[in-house]
Amino acid sequence: MIQRLFLLDTDTTDPHHNLALEEYLFNTVEPGDCILYLWQNRHTVVIGSNQNPWLECRTALLEEDGGRLARRLSGGGAVYHDMGNLNFTFLVRSEDYDLRRQLSVITSACRQLGIPAECSGRNDILADGRKFSGNAFYQHQDRRYHHGTILVDADMEKMGKYLSPSPAKLQARGVPSVRSRVINLRELCPDLSIPGMKEALAEAFTRVYQLPAERLSPADLSEKAVAALEERYRSWEWLYGRPLAFTFQCAGKYPWGEITIQLAAESGTVTAAAVYTDAMDPSFAAPLEQALAGCPFHVPQLYQAVERAPISQEVRRDVCTLLAEQNL
Amino acid sequence: MNFPAELKYSKSHEWVKMLDDTTALVGITDYAQSELGDLVFINLPVVGDAVTKEEAFCDVESVKAVSDVVSPLTGVVAEINEALMDEPQMLNESPYEAWIAKVEDITDTEELMDAAAYEAFIQQ
Repeated sequence: MIQRLFLLDTDTTDPHHNLALEEYLFNTVEPGDCILYLWQNRHTVVIGSNQNPWLECRTALLEEDGGRLARRLSGGGAVYHDMGNLNFTFLVRSEDYDLRRQLSVITSACRQLGIPAECSGRNDILADGRKFSGNAFYQHQDRRYHHGTILVDADMEKMGKYLSPSPAKLQARGVPSVRSRVINLRELCPDLSIPGMKEALAEAFTRVYQLPAERLSPADLSEKAVAALEERYRSWEWLYGRPLAFTFQCAGKYPWGEITIQLAAESGTVTAAAVYTDAMDPSFAAPLEQALAGCPFHVPQLYQAVERAPISQEVRRDVCTLLAEQNL
Repeated sequence: MNFPAELKYSKSHEWVKMLDDTTALVGITDYAQSELGDLVFINLPVVGDAVTKEEAFCDVESVKAVSDVVSPLTGVVAEINEALMDEPQMLNESPYEAWIAKVEDITDTEELMDAAAYEAFIQQ
């Protein structure tokens, strides 16, 4: 039974730090405690535990625009976060987990603001028939968390820009994202702000559990333990290098001939490259294959590999353009 | 719900089918798959991995959550059921045919229940 409530609200907007903090809270939550953690990520795409980043997100474009990619522990699909979105996490021991009660904190906060919110299926919260909150879940040993997004005033244009449909030529195992009709709560409650939403959630937390909530401050947490976790969330291995195999193919037609490039990748690195061409002089194919094999499947690094290949300037330029056109 | 008599069961809802004294197949029970809901992904262990009883050796993602699968045995992964990577829903459809891993060189086993005891355990 829940006996103590804790509330943590952080100002950090770095997704890797915030996910590390979430995992730290997960690792330290005590029986009888329920922690509500409120957090925001600036300009970030967060993918599910078992998703292929290149299938879900235009990673090169996001990186170019100064955005960040993050991978969470929980399942489900890719989401875009910005400062118009508020994230919440409920962290408890398994015996204290009560999804319905946790969700009612969100819906109760919304109703207090005059927004008629309703849960739909297991994972979504809707208002006016449209989704404003997607929820995901993680359990390990005797601990669980339930977290979700709340769209208050997110940039829908960017959401569409970075979460554009998958490149057709990438074949991968992984959990697909489900597209939904979404709504910002600001549309239904014009005065709503992020601080206003946080306040409503804090009040609803206490109301639903009928207990006072003690505020935690980041100073109460072990900076060292969080930093160690953060390093993992930020690493290439975690973001791109999970052992999910995939293949990629692209083809283009140029004055010098047609070219098809096939790449097989494992753990985020190209394991095999095949280049096919009908060019009069196909001698660039083998060096190009050699340059791409072993290269991390990361667009800037693929460019560099092509740039270094001992092939003509013209083919180099066209191959780079071809790769850039794939929206990886 | 179905609990075949020839299998042994763990408290964390895995089944064990002993093939000989030191080799066994491991999977998740009918109860586990129904609690997890529709499975959409499995991260299988790797052949050669050492597994330890009562520790996670694989994880699954369902429409509800990412969850661990706990090894009831201490041993070494000899084979994995790769078909599950393409069709994780086999774990829902036929949990006792959809074995996850074959474990060999078993040196230790957690206390396992027979079908009747397991059925009583989940009804508690």
